[in-house]
Amino acid sequence: MSDVKISGLHKHFGAVHVLKGIDLEIPTGEFTVLVGPSGCGKSTLLRTIAGLEEVEQGEIAISGQRMNDVRPRDRNIAMVFQNYALYPYLNVFENIAFGLRARKMPESEIKERVTSAAEMLGITGLLERFPRQLSGGQRQRVAIGRAIVRKAQLFLFDEPLSNLDAQLRDEMRGEIKKLHQTIDVTMIYVTHDQIEAMTLADRIVLMREGRIEQVGAPLDLYERPATHFVAGFLGSPKINFVHGEVLISGSEQVLRLVDGETISLPAIASTWPKNIILGIRPQYLGLASESRSPDDVRFSRIIDLIQPTGSRTYITVKLGGRDLVAEIESTSRGNVGDVLDLSFNRLNALFFDPATGRAL
Amino acid sequence: MAQSFASVSSAVRRSPQMPDHNFRYWIIAPSVFLLLLIGLFPLIYAFVVSFQQITMTDYDTSFAGLVNYQALFSDQRLWESILHTIVITVIALPVELILGLALAYLFLEKMYGKQIFISLIVLPTVISPIVSGATWRLLFDQRYGPINQVLSWIAGREVVMLWTIEPILVYPAILICEIWQWTPFMFLILLAALSSVDKSLTEAAELDGAGFWRIFLKIELPAIWPVMAIAILIRGVDLFRIFDMVWALTGGGPGTYTETISIYTYVQGFRQFETSYTAAIAFLIVALMSFVVTWAIRRMGLAK
Amino acid sequence: MVILGRYLLALSVLIFFVFPIYWLFAISFKTPEEIFHFPPVWYPQKIQFANYWVLFKDGDATSVWNSFILAGSSTIIAMILGTICAYSLVRFKTGGENFAVWIISQRLMPPIAIIFPIFLLYVFFGWVDSYGGLILLYTAFNLPYVIWMMRGYIEDIPIELEESALVDGCSRWAVLWKVVFPMARAGLFATAVFTFVFAWNEFIFALVLSRTEVTTYTVQVTHYFGGQSNFWAKIAAMSVLGTVPVFITVATLQRFLVRGISMGAVKG
Repeated sequence: MSDVKISGLHKHFGAVHVLKGIDLEIPTGEFTVLVGPSGCGKSTLLRTIAGLEEVEQGEIAISGQRMNDVRPRDRNIAMVFQNYALYPYLNVFENIAFGLRARKMPESEIKERVTSAAEMLGITGLLERFPRQLSGGQRQRVAIGRAIVRKAQLFLFDEPLSNLDAQLRDEMRGEIKKLHQTIDVTMIYVTHDQIEAMTLADRIVLMREGRIEQVGAPLDLYERPATHFVAGFLGSPKINFVHGEVLISGSEQVLRLVDGETISLPAIASTWPKNIILGIRPQYLGLASESRSPDDVRFSRIIDLIQPTGSRTYITVKLGGRDLVAEIESTSRGNVGDVLDLSFNRLNALFFDPATGRAL
Repeated sequence: MAQSFASVSSAVRRSPQMPDHNFRYWIIAPSVFLLLLIGLFPLIYAFVVSFQQITMTDYDTSFAGLVNYQALFSDQRLWESILHTIVITVIALPVELILGLALAYLFLEKMYGKQIFISLIVLPTVISPIVSGATWRLLFDQRYGPINQVLSWIAGREVVMLWTIEPILVYPAILICEIWQWTPFMFLILLAALSSVDKSLTEAAELDGAGFWRIFLKIELPAIWPVMAIAILIRGVDLFRIFDMVWALTGGGPGTYTETISIYTYVQGFRQFETSYTAAIAFLIVALMSFVVTWAIRRMGLAK
Repeated sequence: MVILGRYLLALSVLIFFVFPIYWLFAISFKTPEEIFHFPPVWYPQKIQFANYWVLFKDGDATSVWNSFILAGSSTIIAMILGTICAYSLVRFKTGGENFAVWIISQRLMPPIAIIFPIFLLYVFFGWVDSYGGLILLYTAFNLPYVIWMMRGYIEDIPIELEESALVDGCSRWAVLWKVVFPMARAGLFATAVFTFVFAWNEFIFALVLSRTEVTTYTVQVTHYFGGQSNFWAKIAAMSVLGTVPVFITVATLQRFLVRGISMGAVKG
C-alpha cells in the first residue's frame, strides 16, 4: 500500500500564496503526472510530499499515515532531481549506494542491490567512473539507479528530463515508462511538458496558479476538458479558439463570429450564455471532403501561412478575426494566398463559457 | 477524481514543525557564544566601568557619572592621537588606492612572466605588520641602513637622517612603510576586478572612439566600484586601528608624536592602568566605529 | 618600445617591493661585521646560520612553535564552528540581515577596544599567559572572517545535492559532514590558510595576554628592540623564521589569494 492523500494543503512563500487548497488522492501503483505552466505550484506540491517543504496548513498522508511532521528520510520515498544531484567526489557505485550507506545497510546487500539496479539500467560498465565522465543520459540513469536501490514505496520525479536534448528526452521517456512497468511502485512525476504528461501518465493532474484544474486519464482530459485552460494546455499544436455570439432564430441555433460569419451549432442548452468560445483542434479541421454530412461546418479562407513538418502540414487561416490552424496531409499542395475549402465536424467542437472558463 | 477532505481540524489548525526545525539554531550557538564574548561582553564591561573611577591607585567602583567622558574632551593627548590617526589614514588610503590602480593597469594586459611578478609583489602584504615595521626600521637606520647609504652616495656626502626619531621624518617613514606593505593588497584586488570587466564593453567603446580616460571613468570605474568600495572599507578600518607597524617603527615616538589612537589607548590601559578612563576611550571608539561600519555595510548592501 | 618601457617599470616596481624583504633575509645571514659595516654590504659573503643558531640555543625559537600552536588550533576550531554557522545563514537565513551585518561588523572592530575588558576577565580567571586563553580569543576573533568567506562557498553548492541526501536517508548533521564539507573542500582549505595567516601575524592580543609561557614570534621580535641598541641579527632572524612559513603556505594557494584577502569581494 503506497497511496498518497493530500487534503486542504495551503502554502505561502512570503506573501505569495503558492498552493491554494490542494485536495488529491493518488492510488497505489499509479503513475501520476503533475503538469502545468511555470509557477503553478507543481514542484512545490511535489517537494511538500517529499518533506523538503514544511506543511503550513492541511495534511499529507502516505499509506494512510500522516506525514506532516515526518522527516524526508523517514517517509520511505525516493526522488530524482532535475539536475541529477550526483555527488561529484564519489564514483557511480558510491553515488548509487549513498542512501544505503546512510542507513547502515550491510556491505553485501549494498553490493547486491547496486549491481542489480545497474544491470536494469544498463550502466554496469560505468560503476567505477565519476559523474564528470558521464553523458547527460548516463547521469540521469545513475540518478534513477539511486532511487531504485532504496526500494522505496513512492518515487518522485522533479522535471528529470528538462536538461536533456530533444532526442535524448524521447529515449529516456520510454525508459521511465518501462521502469514503471517493471517496478510496480507509485510514481509522481512533475513536468511542464504536456507531451511527457500525455505519454507517461496513468492520470494527469493539471495545475494552474496553485489550484488543481482537472484530474483524469490523459485522453479524458484531451477529449473532455473541463475548462478552456485545459483544452488549451493539452494538444500540440494548440487547439483553435473562436469567439462568438449565440443567435437563436426559430429552430436554428447559430454562432455569429466577430467578422459576421455564422456557424450553425448542434443542440444548445438553455443555460448557455450569450457569448461563448468555440474550440476545435487542428486535427479535426481539414480540407473540405466531397461527401457532405449535416454536421459539417464549411468555409473558405485564404492561406496565410504554410508550415510543413514532414508527416503533416499545418495551414494557418483567419476566422472570426483570429488565426486558425488546420492540419492537412503533406501530399496536398497549395500556396500562400490561395483560397482553401475547409471543414470540421461540429460534433468535434468544444464549447466554453468565456466568463468562467468551464466547458458547456 | 479528487475528493474533498476539508475536515475542520486539518484545515484550521497549523501543523507543528518538523523535528529538524531547531537544527539551524544549534549550529550557530557556539559561534554566537564566542562572538558575544568578544562583541558584547567587552562593550558592556567598558560601559559600566567607564562610569566608575578605577585607576592604578584607586579602586573606586562607585558611580561617578560622566566624569571620565568629560575628561575625554579636555584630554589633549587623546585628540592629538586621533589627529595622528586621521593624518595617516587620509594620506595612506588614497595613495594606496591610486598606486594600486596604476599597478593594476600596468599588469592588466598579457605579459611574459606576469604570474611571477605578481606573486613576488604580493609578498609584503602577507608578512606581519610587526615584521614590516621592523624591516623598515632596519632600512632606515641612520648609519647602517641602506637608505641613508644610498642617499649619501647620491648627495656625495654623508647623510644621517634619523628617520624614526626626527619629527619631520617619522611620518614619511611610517607612510612609506605602510604604503609599501599595503599597496599590493589594493593592487591585487583591483587587478582581479579590472580583469573581470566585460571586454566587449571596453572594445565597443574603443571602436566608438573613446580614449583611455573616458573608458576608465565611464565604464571601468563604475564596474569595479563595488569591489573598490569594499577594499577601501577594509583598508580604511585597518588604517584607523593601526598599531603593530607604528609600534615597531617608532613606538609612538618621539614622545607621543606618532601616537595613534590605538597606541594611546594601550598606553592608558597597560602602562598607566587608568582602567575607567581607558574604558571610556574604548567605548567611544567602539561606538564611533560601530556607527560608521554599520552604515557603510548597509549602504553597500553587503549582507544581502 | 612600449613593451620595453613596461618591463622596466614592472622591474622597478618589483625591486621596490621585494628589496626590503631581501634585505631582511640578507641581514639574518650576515655576520656582525657585515651588518655593522659602512658602506653597506649588499649581500652576505656566505650564508651562515649563526644568527638562527643563537635563537634556538636561547630557546627563543620556541616562540615560533607557540605561534604555530595558537594559530593552528584556533584555525581548526574556527573553521568548524564558523562553517556550520555559515551553513545556517545560507540555507535557513537564520537571523536575517541583521545577524549577518552584526557578524561582519565584528571583523571590523578595533582590537584595542576590546582588549582591556578581556584582559581583566582573563586575569580574573587566571587565563593570562595560557594557551587555552589565547586560542579561545583567536578563535572568536577569526570567526567573522570564516563565517563570511564560507557563506560564499556554501552558496555555490547546488542545493539538490543536500536535498537528495535528505531524502536518501541522511540527517541534517550527516548532510553537513557528507555533502557540504566535501563539496566546499577548496573553499575550506583557502579560508583556513588565510585564517591561519591572520592569526599567525597577530600581535596585540599576544602582547597583552602572554607573559613568558606563550610568547608568539611577533612579540618575541619586539623584545629585541632595546632602548640603546637593537639586536639586529636577532630581529632579522626571528622575523625570517616567522615569515617563511607564511610565504610557503601562501605560495601554494595562489589561486585563492584574491578571494581570501578581499573577503570574498572578488572571486579572482
